[in-house]
Amino acid sequence: MAKKVRKRACDFALLLTTLLLVFIGIIMVFSSSWPEGIRMNDGYYFLKKQIVSALVGLAGMLFFMNFDYRYIYRFSRLIYLLSVISGLLIFTPLGVVRKGARRWIDLGFTTFMPSDIIKLGSIIFLAAFLSKRKDVVKDLKKSTIPTIMIIGISCGLIYLQKDLGTTVTLGATLVSIFFVAGMKFSHLFFMIVGAALGLAAAIFTGDNEYRIRRLVAFMDPFADKTDSGWQAVQSLYALGSGGLFGLGLGKSRQKFFYIPEPYNDFIFAIIGEELGFLGTLTVILLFLILIWRGVRIALNTEDLFGCLLATGIIALIAVQSLIHIAVVTSSIPTTGIPLPLVSYGGTSLVLYMSSIGILLNISRHVKMDGS
Amino acid sequence: MQVPTNTNKKRLIFVLFVITFVTLILILRLGYIQIAIGEELKKGALEQWTKGIEIKSKRGTIYDRNGKKLAISVSSYTVWASPADIKDPDNTAKLVAEVLDMDEELVYEKITKNTNVEKIKQWISNDEAKELRNLKLSGIQIVDDNKRYYPYEDFASYILGFTDIDNYGLYGIERTYDKYLSGTPGRWVVTEDARGRQMPYDGERVYDAQDGLNVVLTIDETIQHFAEKAATESLLTTKAKNVSVIVMEPNTGDILAMATLPQYNPNNPREPLDEELKRAWENLPQDELMGKWYDMWRNFAINDSYEPGSTFKLITAAAALEENVASMSSNFYCNGFIRDIPGGTLRCARWYNPHGAQSLKEGMANSCNVVFVDLGRRLGKDKFYKYIKAFGFGERTGIELPGEQTGIIPINTDIIKEINLATMSYGHGIAVTPIQLINAVSAIANGGKLMKPRLVSQLIDNDGNVVIENKPEVIRQVISKSTADAMLDMMESVVTDGTGTNAYVAGYRVAGKTGTAQKIIDGRYAPGKYIGSFVAVAPASDPKIAVLVVVDEPEGMYYGGSVAAPVAGRVIEETLSYLEVKPEFTEEEKEQFDYTVEVPNVMNMKLEEAGRILSELGFKYTTESFNIIENSLVIDQFPKPGTEVTRGSIIDLYLMEEDRKENKIHMPDLIGKSKEKVIQILDQLGLKYELIGEGIVVGQDPSPGTEVDVNYNIKVEFSDVKE
Repeated sequence: MAKKVRKRACDFALLLTTLLLVFIGIIMVFSSSWPEGIRMNDGYYFLKKQIVSALVGLAGMLFFMNFDYRYIYRFSRLIYLLSVISGLLIFTPLGVVRKGARRWIDLGFTTFMPSDIIKLGSIIFLAAFLSKRKDVVKDLKKSTIPTIMIIGISCGLIYLQKDLGTTVTLGATLVSIFFVAGMKFSHLFFMIVGAALGLAAAIFTGDNEYRIRRLVAFMDPFADKTDSGWQAVQSLYALGSGGLFGLGLGKSRQKFFYIPEPYNDFIFAIIGEELGFLGTLTVILLFLILIWRGVRIALNTEDLFGCLLATGIIALIAVQSLIHIAVVTSSIPTTGIPLPLVSYGGTSLVLYMSSIGILLNISRHVKMDGS
Repeated sequence: MQVPTNTNKKRLIFVLFVITFVTLILILRLGYIQIAIGEELKKGALEQWTKGIEIKSKRGTIYDRNGKKLAISVSSYTVWASPADIKDPDNTAKLVAEVLDMDEELVYEKITKNTNVEKIKQWISNDEAKELRNLKLSGIQIVDDNKRYYPYEDFASYILGFTDIDNYGLYGIERTYDKYLSGTPGRWVVTEDARGRQMPYDGERVYDAQDGLNVVLTIDETIQHFAEKAATESLLTTKAKNVSVIVMEPNTGDILAMATLPQYNPNNPREPLDEELKRAWENLPQDELMGKWYDMWRNFAINDSYEPGSTFKLITAAAALEENVASMSSNFYCNGFIRDIPGGTLRCARWYNPHGAQSLKEGMANSCNVVFVDLGRRLGKDKFYKYIKAFGFGERTGIELPGEQTGIIPINTDIIKEINLATMSYGHGIAVTPIQLINAVSAIANGGKLMKPRLVSQLIDNDGNVVIENKPEVIRQVISKSTADAMLDMMESVVTDGTGTNAYVAGYRVAGKTGTAQKIIDGRYAPGKYIGSFVAVAPASDPKIAVLVVVDEPEGMYYGGSVAAPVAGRVIEETLSYLEVKPEFTEEEKEQFDYTVEVPNVMNMKLEEAGRILSELGFKYTTESFNIIENSLVIDQFPKPGTEVTRGSIIDLYLMEEDRKENKIHMPDLIGKSKEKVIQILDQLGLKYELIGEGIVVGQDPSPGTEVDVNYNIKVEFSDVKE
């Protein structure tokens, strides 16, 4: 049977959508990073790095597309262990502090963000873990508590990097996997309550005044638009000046240092400014297609691990892109989250493309409609 | 291998549903931001991208009728800051404050303000601008600006008015013609990124300012000078509160001069010219000071109304003649009183020595109240009221100056009782503005046409093209030409035989009317406070000018005939001769004095000799030089030789000032002397000097033996001079 399945073609729509988003990403990273690049005496600096990342990502995607995901199941514990270790490496001399946060690891030849690795690693591990507990998934001791521990370790590692946005993203993703795996509703309820309390504690306790300020600024960004409301206001200005059709590709004004790192956490705002509502809508629709194709793969797979893994990958992409768009549109308080596949960032792009590769591989094992 | 259950699939679909739902909400939110409130946000964005600095338009010039510049705009500079671009506010504030002589803290406050641009200082000097430019401070811009300047200083200030610091007209023509004078300001727009550098798009755009139009007044600078000079003299001699002189051209309604003294200097409108007053105002609280300012800026000629008194008899007479209720030769009898009016007995001004039988013409010359009360009663209140209105009283003349008053006349004929009719006939119980009165008299002078007073004849652009022209405007024909002629005839007798003889000008036939009235303050006649006025038209045969002189609260004498008529006479004489109206002397006048005498040439004569020649010819002379000795040489004279002037005129002589020999000394020889010695010698001689270097003298300027002025700055060079 396995032999027969392997012959299937992968989900072409998903592949195409992914490549399209990566392509749009490269163009938009180039456009939005130009002013900063020029300031560093190389306008193409970010473009070149993003193209290299995309090529590495493409290689990763092609590799995982043809790499039987079931091997991943076997190595899930090792993968998770390695990703947790990489997360801890941050606190060794290898960790690099940039922009006030300890989020990078310097390997000498390259740097990478362990949080991206932890994200994928924990998804794989939880999917594998839960697929083994299919029959006891509603059991508090056998499933829920270990799951909470996995979530706690994974999210905790990221929270230690002072990255609340990613923590929330990963938390929501992992809970989604547990939810799809069949968790008890009452457990879900308590977990949501717990998560809410945790979030409140993260904001209101300890040395986290900036989070409170962001929350206040979110209520009325224009009240303090030169300081705490700056990013939100600049992002709204960008979207607003784009209007329906946009100012035209490359013609963003807001990328000229009004929006900090426009090629990263606010790339969607620059898309809105240059390509207008039609541009942002196109990107959202591409993500919807991607999510729909992903869910379809998860639905059609006959393997619970494949189903949960696909769920995790799709949930991660969905949650992260929705949070990114919500931040850019000032729908939630500002937090730094890149747009998957589109924003600048090597580790992130390579890992997202690789995980799409895993999805594509799962799709090759899927029993297609009617057959 | 575990197989997914239906529960897994249902929950997956539920997750997809949740994601889709959230996505839809975000799409709606995005649509709201980008489309619904997009424009509004774009405005905010545009505001931060663009930095616009206003380019001031050049305010138009105000010319007199002959093209003399009465108000001009001179180039100046204004310093602006764009706080976002300032790198080192502390240092910038220090440097800017130093150059501009400002408070450092104030500058710091301005350059750190949360705005796009902030004005630091307006109207800095050229040197300051140059110095500031050399500092090349980022975020500090020096922009061309212009400043209003009135070259004649305190001259025609009530007509010109003045502007505020932003060149907005506050008073006078500056105010009424502000929208033409001010032009359209331009803008210099730059798009900048958040780091204050120009963005690659749009570039900088300059919207040129459009200069304001120039206003050409009907005022004649020279005549205005005559009027102001006469008013100033009157102010000094009568110690009046205000003296107003208006000169009008009757045929066009052009205001040739309108002087109200004392006035202010529009270059510095908040400071009185009077030194004593200036000191008195120094310690006033702000609100009281404001009140003083507003009082100072009041143009008596149009902003105040007064009881005209006898000058108003002209209106009564004109109405009576026009309505044929009397003629110039109609007979009247004055016994000093009018006793048959309910409400009181009215007196003639000369009740103690009644005028007796007189014609209307004589009654005018005598300014006899009884005659005019009679005329008023013959007219009846309706007809009389009709003419009061027709001559423009009780309504604004429409002169183009702010704050014109309407005067006070009865609102309708119903409220005019017989006593009111009677007093109004001789100008009591009614209030007019000076401009109304002269405009009405101009109508009599020009054959009966009430004109709209004209102060601005044209608006011209910088190339001299006429953009807007104000044509003389006839409001209505009030009286017939024949009535007007008869009026002038009667008015002439006022000057030749009546109360206005002080306005007599040899060679010109002056027609006029005196007026004296008690001032009304707070609705009551103020004891001891009078307004003496005189209104005149000249020459009576062919009126070229109408002149009104109003002396407000003179001390001592207050009759219009004594305080105002001579002022009018002076203005008429000077103006008509300036306008080159040929004087026509009567035989009588010719006999009185051989009128023209040619000024002799006394230049290059010794003062003693020049004085003798001038005295022999009946001239007086003045010199303004000091150190006059009898042998001083006349180097210039005014009027120039050959000018025909009236005998007895004053000739100004300008004398060569003789050098005093004792101011000269012979330069001593200093070569080879020590510094101490040099200082000793030069100090003894009381000379000013400059010593260069140390050691022994090697050079001196001037050289030894030269005759030098004591004030000459002597230079002495010493041996070790380094070039």
